[in-house]
Amino acid sequence: MAESGRIPELLRLCRGCHEFVRLDEADCPFCGGDLDLLQADYQKRLADMHQAAAELREALARIRLSGGQSG
Amino acid sequence: MTEQRTEALPVRYAGIDDIVNRVPVSVVWEITLACDLACQHCGSRAGRRRRDELNTAEALDLVEQIAELGARDVGLIGGEAYLRKDWLQIVAAIRAAGMRCDLQTGGRNLTDERVARAAAAGLGGIGISIDGIGATHDAIRGVPGSFELAVAALRRVRAHGLSSAVNTTINARSLPQLREIMDLIIDAGASNWQLAIMTAMGNAADHPELLLQPWQMLEVMPLLAELAEDGRERGLFLQPASNLGYYGPHETVIRNIANDEIHFHGCNAGDTVMGIEADGTIKSCPGLPSPYAGGNIRERRLRDIWENADPLAFVRRRTIDDLWGFCRSCYYAETCMAGCTWTAHALMGRPGNNPMCFHRAREMDKKGLRERLVKVKDAGGRSFDHGEFEIVVEAAAPRVADRVLADG
Repeated sequence: MAESGRIPELLRLCRGCHEFVRLDEADCPFCGGDLDLLQADYQKRLADMHQAAAELREALARIRLSGGQSG
Repeated sequence: MTEQRTEALPVRYAGIDDIVNRVPVSVVWEITLACDLACQHCGSRAGRRRRDELNTAEALDLVEQIAELGARDVGLIGGEAYLRKDWLQIVAAIRAAGMRCDLQTGGRNLTDERVARAAAAGLGGIGISIDGIGATHDAIRGVPGSFELAVAALRRVRAHGLSSAVNTTINARSLPQLREIMDLIIDAGASNWQLAIMTAMGNAADHPELLLQPWQMLEVMPLLAELAEDGRERGLFLQPASNLGYYGPHETVIRNIANDEIHFHGCNAGDTVMGIEADGTIKSCPGLPSPYAGGNIRERRLRDIWENADPLAFVRRRTIDDLWGFCRSCYYAETCMAGCTWTAHALMGRPGNNPMCFHRAREMDKKGLRERLVKVKDAGGRSFDHGEFEIVVEAAAPRVADRVLADG
Protein backbone atom coordinates (compact mmCIF):
# COMPACT_ATOMS: atom_id res chain seq x y z
CA MET A 1 0.00 0.00 0.00
CA ALA A 2 1.43 3.35 -1.03
CA GLU A 3 2.03 5.98 1.63
CA SER A 4 -0.92 8.33 2.14
CA GLY A 5 -0.66 12.03 1.34
CA ARG A 6 -0.56 14.66 4.04
CA ILE A 7 -4.04 15.20 5.44
CA PRO A 8 -4.36 18.95 5.87
CA GLU A 9 -5.32 20.63 9.11
CA LEU A 10 -8.56 22.34 8.19
CA LEU A 11 -9.63 25.76 9.43
CA ARG A 12 -13.06 27.29 9.95
CA LEU A 13 -14.28 30.60 8.66
CA CYS A 14 -15.26 33.23 11.19
CA ARG A 15 -18.58 34.62 10.00
CA GLY A 16 -17.91 37.85 11.88
CA CYS A 17 -14.67 39.03 10.30
CA HIS A 18 -14.06 36.44 7.52
CA GLU A 19 -10.73 35.33 8.92
CA PHE A 20 -9.89 31.63 8.99
CA VAL A 21 -9.32 30.24 12.47
CA ARG A 22 -8.29 26.91 13.96
CA LEU A 23 -10.98 24.34 14.60
CA ASP A 24 -10.29 24.30 18.35
CA GLU A 25 -11.09 27.99 18.80
CA ALA A 26 -14.32 28.94 20.61
CA ASP A 27 -13.89 32.66 20.08
CA CYS A 28 -12.32 34.25 17.03
CA PRO A 29 -8.78 35.39 17.87
CA PHE A 30 -9.15 38.20 15.36
CA CYS A 31 -12.51 39.81 16.18
CA GLY A 32 -13.35 38.14 19.51
CA GLY A 33 -16.72 36.88 18.27
CA ASP A 34 -18.32 33.64 19.46
CA LEU A 35 -17.70 31.38 16.46
CA ASP A 36 -20.66 29.06 17.01
CA LEU A 37 -23.10 31.95 17.55
CA LEU A 38 -21.79 33.72 14.46
CA GLN A 39 -22.13 30.53 12.43
CA ALA A 40 -25.69 29.97 13.67
CA ASP A 41 -26.59 33.55 12.82
CA TYR A 42 -25.04 33.13 9.37
CA GLN A 43 -27.02 29.94 8.74
CA LYS A 44 -30.23 31.69 9.77
CA ARG A 45 -29.54 34.63 7.48
CA LEU A 46 -28.72 32.22 4.67
CA ALA A 47 -31.98 30.33 5.22
CA ASP A 48 -33.93 33.62 5.30
CA MET A 49 -32.24 34.65 2.05
CA HIS A 50 -33.13 31.37 0.37
CA GLN A 51 -36.71 31.71 1.61
CA ALA A 52 -36.94 35.27 0.28
CA ALA A 53 -35.50 34.17 -3.06
CA ALA A 54 -38.04 31.36 -3.29
CA GLU A 55 -40.89 33.73 -2.50
CA LEU A 56 -39.62 36.16 -5.10
CA ARG A 57 -39.47 33.41 -7.72
CA GLU A 58 -43.04 32.39 -6.90
CA ALA A 59 -44.24 35.98 -7.09
CA LEU A 60 -42.55 36.46 -10.47
CA ALA A 61 -44.10 33.25 -11.71
CA ARG A 62 -47.54 34.46 -10.61
CA ILE A 63 -47.03 37.80 -12.37
CA ARG A 64 -45.92 36.00 -15.54
CA LEU A 65 -48.93 33.72 -15.34
CA SER A 66 -51.43 36.52 -14.80
CA GLY A 67 -49.78 38.56 -17.57
CA GLY A 68 -50.14 35.61 -19.91
CA GLN A 69 -53.84 35.17 -19.03
CA SER A 70 -54.68 38.86 -19.53
CA GLY A 71 -52.70 39.13 -22.73
CA MET B 1 -10.49 21.97 0.18
CA THR B 2 -13.73 20.09 0.59
CA GLU B 3 -14.93 16.53 0.43
CA GLN B 4 -17.78 17.58 -1.83
CA ARG B 5 -17.14 17.70 -5.54
CA THR B 6 -19.60 19.10 -8.02
CA GLU B 7 -19.68 19.25 -11.80
CA ALA B 8 -18.64 22.90 -11.57
CA LEU B 9 -15.21 22.10 -10.13
CA PRO B 10 -12.22 21.87 -12.49
CA VAL B 11 -10.98 18.31 -13.07
CA ARG B 12 -7.63 19.21 -11.56
CA TYR B 13 -9.28 20.12 -8.27
CA ALA B 14 -8.11 17.62 -5.64
CA GLY B 15 -10.43 16.27 -2.96
CA ILE B 16 -9.64 14.48 0.29
CA ASP B 17 -9.78 11.04 -1.37
CA ASP B 18 -7.15 12.15 -3.88
CA ILE B 19 -4.85 13.25 -1.06
CA VAL B 20 -5.33 10.07 0.95
CA ASN B 21 -4.67 7.93 -2.10
CA ARG B 22 -1.98 10.24 -3.47
CA VAL B 23 -3.51 10.53 -6.91
CA PRO B 24 -1.47 12.83 -9.15
CA VAL B 25 -4.61 14.67 -10.18
CA SER B 26 -2.70 17.37 -12.02
CA VAL B 27 0.40 16.52 -14.02
CA VAL B 28 2.40 19.38 -15.50
CA TRP B 29 4.65 18.16 -18.28
CA GLU B 30 7.40 20.20 -19.91
CA ILE B 31 7.53 18.33 -23.24
CA THR B 32 10.35 20.45 -24.64
CA LEU B 33 12.62 23.21 -23.46
CA ALA B 34 12.66 24.78 -26.93
CA CYS B 35 11.05 28.21 -26.83
CA ASP B 36 10.28 31.14 -29.13
CA LEU B 37 10.23 33.72 -26.33
CA ALA B 38 12.96 34.94 -23.96
CA CYS B 39 11.10 35.59 -20.71
CA GLN B 40 12.86 37.48 -17.95
CA HIS B 41 11.20 35.32 -15.31
CA CYS B 42 11.52 31.88 -16.92
CA GLY B 43 12.36 29.39 -14.18
CA SER B 44 13.67 26.76 -16.58
CA ARG B 45 15.67 29.29 -18.65
CA ALA B 46 14.00 27.82 -21.75
CA GLY B 47 15.27 28.52 -25.24
CA ARG B 48 17.02 25.52 -26.75
CA ARG B 49 15.64 22.03 -26.48
CA ARG B 50 17.28 19.72 -23.97
CA ARG B 51 19.85 17.40 -25.56
CA ASP B 52 18.13 14.27 -24.32
CA GLU B 53 14.43 14.98 -24.54
CA LEU B 54 12.10 11.97 -24.63
CA ASN B 55 11.42 10.62 -28.10
CA THR B 56 7.90 10.00 -29.35
CA ALA B 57 7.74 6.36 -28.28
CA GLU B 58 9.00 7.22 -24.79
CA ALA B 59 6.51 10.10 -24.50
CA LEU B 60 3.57 7.95 -25.55
CA ASP B 61 4.58 5.23 -23.11
CA LEU B 62 4.78 7.85 -20.39
CA VAL B 63 1.21 8.91 -21.18
CA GLU B 64 0.07 5.37 -20.42
CA GLN B 65 2.00 5.35 -17.17
CA ILE B 66 0.47 8.69 -16.13
CA ALA B 67 -3.02 7.34 -16.81
CA GLU B 68 -2.30 4.22 -14.74
CA LEU B 69 -1.78 6.45 -11.70
CA GLY B 70 -5.27 7.94 -12.05
CA ALA B 71 -4.27 11.40 -13.22
CA ARG B 72 -7.17 13.49 -14.51
CA ASP B 73 -5.47 16.48 -16.08
CA VAL B 74 -2.21 16.83 -17.98
CA GLY B 75 -0.98 20.34 -18.67
CA LEU B 76 1.59 20.65 -21.42
CA ILE B 77 4.18 23.36 -20.96
CA GLY B 78 7.65 24.18 -22.27
CA GLY B 79 9.59 25.93 -23.36
CA GLU B 80 6.92 26.16 -25.94
CA ALA B 81 5.12 22.83 -26.25
CA TYR B 82 3.90 23.39 -29.81
CA LEU B 83 7.51 23.54 -31.03
CA ARG B 84 7.76 19.81 -30.48
CA LYS B 85 6.79 18.14 -33.77
CA ASP B 86 4.84 15.31 -32.16
CA TRP B 87 2.96 17.44 -29.63
CA LEU B 88 -0.43 16.72 -31.18
CA GLN B 89 0.29 12.99 -31.03
CA ILE B 90 0.92 13.42 -27.32
CA VAL B 91 -2.30 15.42 -26.92
CA ALA B 92 -4.30 12.75 -28.75
CA ALA B 93 -2.74 9.98 -26.64
CA ILE B 94 -3.59 11.82 -23.41
CA ARG B 95 -7.20 12.20 -24.52
CA ALA B 96 -7.37 8.57 -25.66
CA ALA B 97 -6.18 7.54 -22.20
CA GLY B 98 -9.17 9.40 -20.70
CA MET B 99 -7.43 12.44 -19.30
CA ARG B 100 -8.02 16.12 -19.98
CA CYS B 101 -5.18 17.88 -21.75
CA ASP B 102 -4.46 21.61 -21.69
CA LEU B 103 -1.70 23.71 -23.17
CA GLN B 104 0.05 26.59 -21.44
CA THR B 105 1.74 28.84 -23.97
CA GLY B 106 3.20 32.24 -24.67
CA GLY B 107 1.15 32.18 -27.87
CA ARG B 108 3.72 33.88 -30.08
CA ASN B 109 3.29 31.40 -32.93
CA LEU B 110 -0.01 29.85 -31.97
CA THR B 111 -1.41 30.11 -35.49
CA ASP B 112 -4.99 29.49 -36.48
CA GLU B 113 -3.93 26.20 -38.05
CA ARG B 114 -2.18 25.09 -34.85
CA VAL B 115 -5.26 25.86 -32.75
CA ALA B 116 -7.54 24.05 -35.20
CA ARG B 117 -5.34 20.97 -35.24
CA ALA B 118 -5.03 21.03 -31.45
CA ALA B 119 -8.81 21.16 -31.11
CA ALA B 120 -9.14 18.24 -33.53
CA ALA B 121 -6.60 16.27 -31.47
CA GLY B 122 -8.77 16.74 -28.40
CA LEU B 123 -7.04 19.55 -26.54
CA GLY B 124 -9.41 20.84 -23.87
CA GLY B 125 -8.14 24.33 -23.30
CA ILE B 126 -5.32 26.75 -23.85
CA GLY B 127 -3.85 29.15 -21.34
CA ILE B 128 -2.03 32.15 -22.79
CA SER B 129 0.56 34.04 -20.76
CA ILE B 130 -0.11 37.76 -20.59
CA ASP B 131 2.15 39.61 -18.17
CA GLY B 132 1.31 43.21 -18.83
CA ILE B 133 -0.10 45.64 -21.32
CA GLY B 134 1.83 46.34 -24.52
CA ALA B 135 5.44 47.25 -23.88
CA THR B 136 5.36 45.81 -20.36
CA HIS B 137 4.49 42.36 -21.66
CA ASP B 138 6.98 42.66 -24.53
CA ALA B 139 9.79 43.58 -22.14
CA ILE B 140 9.02 40.75 -19.72
CA ARG B 141 8.62 38.22 -22.54
CA GLY B 142 11.75 39.48 -24.31
CA VAL B 143 10.20 39.79 -27.78
CA PRO B 144 8.80 43.01 -29.29
CA GLY B 145 5.29 42.47 -30.58
CA SER B 146 4.67 39.42 -28.41
CA PHE B 147 1.82 41.17 -26.57
CA GLU B 148 -0.26 41.65 -29.72
CA LEU B 149 0.44 38.08 -30.78
CA ALA B 150 -0.61 36.74 -27.36
CA VAL B 151 -3.89 38.65 -27.40
CA ALA B 152 -4.60 37.53 -30.97
CA ALA B 153 -3.91 33.93 -29.91
CA LEU B 154 -6.34 34.29 -27.02
CA ARG B 155 -9.11 35.44 -29.35
CA ARG B 156 -8.26 32.57 -31.71
CA VAL B 157 -8.61 29.99 -28.93
CA ARG B 158 -12.07 31.24 -28.11
CA ALA B 159 -13.05 31.25 -31.77
CA HIS B 160 -12.21 27.55 -32.03
CA GLY B 161 -14.42 26.71 -29.07
CA LEU B 162 -11.64 25.70 -26.70
CA SER B 163 -11.71 26.85 -23.11
CA SER B 164 -9.51 29.90 -22.94
CA ALA B 165 -7.46 30.96 -19.97
CA VAL B 166 -4.78 33.49 -19.21
CA ASN B 167 -1.76 33.11 -16.95
CA THR B 168 -0.30 36.23 -15.43
CA THR B 169 2.82 36.57 -13.35
CA ILE B 170 2.48 39.27 -10.73
CA ASN B 171 5.69 41.26 -10.48
CA ALA B 172 6.74 44.85 -9.90
CA ARG B 173 5.80 45.83 -13.45
CA SER B 174 2.58 43.89 -13.93
CA LEU B 175 1.06 44.63 -10.51
CA PRO B 176 -0.12 48.16 -11.43
CA GLN B 177 -1.65 46.81 -14.65
CA LEU B 178 -3.69 43.91 -13.28
CA ARG B 179 -7.06 45.61 -13.61
CA GLU B 180 -6.31 46.67 -17.17
CA ILE B 181 -5.18 43.12 -17.98
CA MET B 182 -8.43 41.75 -16.56
CA ASP B 183 -10.57 44.09 -18.66
CA LEU B 184 -8.59 43.13 -21.76
CA ILE B 185 -8.82 39.38 -21.29
CA ILE B 186 -12.54 39.47 -20.48
CA ASP B 187 -13.01 41.33 -23.74
CA ALA B 188 -10.90 38.70 -25.52
CA GLY B 189 -13.09 35.89 -24.19
CA ALA B 190 -11.01 34.35 -21.39
CA SER B 191 -12.98 32.33 -18.86
CA ASN B 192 -10.16 31.59 -16.39
CA TRP B 193 -7.33 33.73 -15.09
CA GLN B 194 -4.50 32.02 -13.22
CA LEU B 195 -2.30 34.33 -11.22
CA ALA B 196 1.00 33.66 -9.51
CA ILE B 197 3.64 35.87 -8.00
CA MET B 198 6.97 35.83 -9.79
CA THR B 199 9.29 33.32 -8.15
CA ALA B 200 13.03 33.94 -7.93
CA MET B 201 14.06 30.93 -9.98
CA GLY B 202 16.06 30.69 -13.21
CA ASN B 203 16.00 33.93 -15.17
CA ALA B 204 13.86 35.56 -12.48
CA ALA B 205 16.70 35.19 -10.00
CA ASP B 206 18.70 37.47 -12.30
CA HIS B 207 16.00 40.17 -12.12
CA PRO B 208 15.44 40.98 -8.46
CA GLU B 209 14.10 44.39 -9.51
CA LEU B 210 11.02 42.59 -10.84
CA LEU B 211 10.33 40.59 -7.69
CA LEU B 212 7.61 41.72 -5.33
CA GLN B 213 8.68 42.55 -1.82
CA PRO B 214 6.95 40.71 1.04
CA TRP B 215 5.16 43.83 2.29
CA GLN B 216 3.53 44.23 -1.12
CA MET B 217 1.32 41.25 -0.30
CA LEU B 218 -0.70 43.79 1.71
CA GLU B 219 -1.51 45.43 -1.61
CA VAL B 220 -1.74 42.29 -3.74
CA MET B 221 -4.32 40.33 -1.77
CA PRO B 222 -7.01 43.05 -1.37
CA LEU B 223 -6.58 43.87 -5.05
CA LEU B 224 -6.99 40.23 -6.08
CA ALA B 225 -10.08 39.89 -3.90
CA GLU B 226 -11.58 42.93 -5.60
CA LEU B 227 -10.70 41.58 -9.05
CA ALA B 228 -12.01 38.10 -8.20
CA GLU B 229 -15.42 39.46 -7.23
CA ASP B 230 -15.58 41.79 -10.20
CA GLY B 231 -14.36 39.09 -12.58
CA ARG B 232 -16.87 36.53 -11.32
CA GLU B 233 -19.73 38.90 -12.12
CA ARG B 234 -18.31 39.31 -15.61
CA GLY B 235 -17.74 35.61 -16.29
CA LEU B 236 -14.05 35.37 -15.44
CA PHE B 237 -12.96 32.83 -12.83
CA LEU B 238 -9.81 33.84 -10.98
CA GLN B 239 -7.50 30.98 -9.97
CA PRO B 240 -4.73 31.85 -7.52
CA ALA B 241 -1.61 29.69 -7.73
CA SER B 242 -0.27 28.03 -4.61
CA ASN B 243 2.18 30.85 -4.05
CA LEU B 244 -0.57 33.42 -3.53
CA GLY B 245 -1.91 33.98 -0.05
CA TYR B 246 -2.16 33.36 2.75
CA TYR B 247 -5.29 33.79 4.90
CA GLY B 248 -6.71 37.09 6.08
CA PRO B 249 -10.18 38.24 5.02
CA HIS B 250 -9.36 37.94 1.30
CA GLU B 251 -8.60 34.22 1.40
CA THR B 252 -12.24 33.20 1.18
CA VAL B 253 -12.86 35.54 -1.73
CA ILE B 254 -9.96 34.53 -3.96
CA ARG B 255 -10.25 30.79 -3.35
CA ASN B 256 -14.04 30.54 -3.40
CA ILE B 257 -14.83 27.57 -5.64
CA ALA B 258 -18.52 27.08 -4.96
CA ASN B 259 -17.74 27.05 -1.24
CA ASP B 260 -16.54 30.01 0.80
CA GLU B 261 -14.90 27.76 3.41
CA ILE B 262 -12.17 26.66 1.01
CA HIS B 263 -8.74 27.82 2.10
CA PHE B 264 -5.09 27.19 1.33
CA HIS B 265 -4.03 24.00 3.11
CA GLY B 266 -0.37 23.71 2.27
CA CYS B 267 1.83 22.72 -0.63
CA ASN B 268 0.48 19.66 -2.45
CA ALA B 269 3.60 18.82 -4.46
CA GLY B 270 4.07 15.09 -4.62
CA ASP B 271 0.63 14.43 -3.12
CA THR B 272 -1.72 15.47 -5.91
CA VAL B 273 0.65 17.32 -8.23
CA MET B 274 3.44 15.94 -10.38
CA GLY B 275 5.99 17.69 -12.58
CA ILE B 276 7.79 16.13 -15.53
CA GLU B 277 10.82 17.52 -17.35
CA ALA B 278 11.38 16.98 -21.07
CA ASP B 279 14.11 14.40 -20.43
CA GLY B 280 11.80 12.24 -18.30
CA THR B 281 12.86 13.55 -14.89
CA ILE B 282 10.01 13.28 -12.40
CA LYS B 283 9.50 15.94 -9.74
CA SER B 284 6.79 16.65 -7.23
CA CYS B 285 6.11 20.07 -8.76
CA PRO B 286 7.24 21.39 -12.15
CA GLY B 287 8.97 24.45 -10.77
CA LEU B 288 11.07 22.84 -8.07
CA PRO B 289 14.86 22.59 -8.38
CA SER B 290 16.86 19.39 -8.93
CA PRO B 291 17.03 18.24 -5.27
CA TYR B 292 13.32 17.46 -5.61
CA ALA B 293 13.83 15.16 -8.63
CA GLY B 294 12.72 11.64 -7.76
CA GLY B 295 14.17 9.79 -10.73
CA ASN B 296 13.88 9.38 -14.47
CA ILE B 297 11.37 7.26 -16.36
CA ARG B 298 14.18 5.92 -18.50
CA GLU B 299 15.47 4.14 -15.42
CA ARG B 300 12.37 3.40 -13.33
CA ARG B 301 8.64 3.01 -13.86
CA LEU B 302 6.65 6.12 -13.11
CA ARG B 303 4.62 4.37 -10.39
CA ASP B 304 7.82 3.31 -8.63
CA ILE B 305 9.15 6.87 -8.63
CA TRP B 306 5.80 8.35 -7.57
CA GLU B 307 5.28 5.92 -4.72
CA ASN B 308 8.81 5.37 -3.46
CA ALA B 309 11.20 8.17 -4.33
CA ASP B 310 12.20 10.05 -1.17
CA PRO B 311 12.60 13.48 -2.85
CA LEU B 312 8.90 13.38 -3.76
CA ALA B 313 7.86 12.64 -0.18
CA PHE B 314 8.85 15.83 1.61
CA VAL B 315 5.32 17.25 1.80
CA ARG B 316 3.71 14.17 3.30
CA ARG B 317 6.54 13.47 5.73
CA ARG B 318 7.40 16.88 7.07
CA THR B 319 6.18 18.22 10.36
CA ILE B 320 6.02 21.59 12.00
CA ASP B 321 9.57 20.95 13.24
CA ASP B 322 10.75 21.35 9.64
CA LEU B 323 9.56 24.96 9.60
CA TRP B 324 11.80 27.82 10.61
CA GLY B 325 11.80 31.59 10.97
CA PHE B 326 8.44 33.33 11.19
CA CYS B 327 6.60 30.32 9.77
CA ARG B 328 7.69 28.07 12.65
CA SER B 329 5.62 29.96 15.22
CA CYS B 330 2.87 31.21 12.92
CA TYR B 331 -0.78 30.79 13.97
CA TYR B 332 -1.41 28.91 10.71
CA ALA B 333 1.76 26.77 10.77
CA GLU B 334 0.06 23.36 10.98
CA THR B 335 -2.23 24.10 8.07
CA CYS B 336 -0.03 26.19 5.83
CA MET B 337 3.37 24.56 6.41
CA ALA B 338 5.10 27.66 5.00
CA GLY B 339 3.05 27.89 1.83
CA CYS B 340 4.55 27.30 -1.59
CA THR B 341 7.71 25.19 -1.39
CA TRP B 342 8.91 26.48 -4.76
CA THR B 343 8.72 30.10 -3.66
CA ALA B 344 10.29 29.50 -0.26
CA HIS B 345 13.14 27.39 -1.62
CA ALA B 346 13.94 29.83 -4.43
CA LEU B 347 14.24 32.71 -1.98
CA MET B 348 15.69 31.13 1.13
CA GLY B 349 17.62 28.18 -0.32
CA ARG B 350 15.48 25.65 1.55
CA PRO B 351 11.78 25.16 2.31
CA GLY B 352 10.02 25.96 5.55
CA ASN B 353 10.10 29.76 5.75
CA ASN B 354 8.18 31.81 3.22
CA PRO B 355 8.19 35.61 3.47
CA MET B 356 5.72 36.05 0.58
CA CYS B 357 2.63 35.89 2.76
CA PHE B 358 -0.25 38.26 3.49
CA HIS B 359 -0.75 37.10 7.09
CA ARG B 360 2.95 37.47 7.83
CA ALA B 361 3.14 40.93 6.25
CA ARG B 362 0.09 42.01 8.26
CA GLU B 363 1.55 40.73 11.52
CA MET B 364 4.76 42.62 10.78
CA ASP B 365 2.78 45.72 9.88
CA LYS B 366 0.95 45.61 13.23
CA LYS B 367 4.36 46.06 14.83
CA GLY B 368 5.26 48.90 12.48
CA LEU B 369 7.68 46.65 10.60
CA ARG B 370 8.07 45.11 7.19
CA GLU B 371 10.36 42.59 5.55
CA ARG B 372 12.52 43.35 2.54
CA LEU B 373 14.36 40.79 0.42
CA VAL B 374 17.94 41.52 -0.56
CA LYS B 375 19.76 39.26 -2.99
CA VAL B 376 23.05 38.12 -1.52
CA LYS B 377 24.02 35.40 -3.99
CA ASP B 378 23.51 35.08 -7.75
CA ALA B 379 22.06 32.01 -9.43
CA GLY B 380 24.42 29.85 -11.43
CA GLY B 381 22.69 30.14 -14.80
CA ARG B 382 21.11 26.68 -15.14
CA SER B 383 17.50 25.54 -15.43
CA PHE B 384 15.56 25.80 -12.18
CA ASP B 385 18.49 27.23 -10.25
CA HIS B 386 18.19 29.99 -7.69
CA GLY B 387 20.22 32.58 -5.87
CA GLU B 388 19.92 33.42 -2.22
CA PHE B 389 18.10 36.21 -0.50
CA GLU B 390 18.36 37.67 2.95
CA ILE B 391 15.38 39.01 4.86
CA VAL B 392 15.91 42.51 6.19
CA VAL B 393 13.40 43.73 8.78
CA GLU B 394 12.87 47.45 8.68
CA ALA B 395 10.40 50.02 9.88
CA ALA B 396 7.27 50.05 7.77
CA ALA B 397 8.15 53.62 6.88
CA PRO B 398 11.14 53.30 4.52
CA ARG B 399 14.71 54.45 4.99
CA VAL B 400 15.02 53.61 8.66
CA ALA B 401 18.09 51.75 9.90
CA ASP B 402 17.93 48.13 8.79
CA ARG B 403 18.61 45.15 10.88
CA VAL B 404 19.09 41.66 9.60
CA LEU B 405 16.50 39.29 10.87
CA ALA B 406 17.99 36.66 13.06
CA ASP B 407 15.72 34.21 11.34
CA GLY B 408 16.17 30.55 11.91
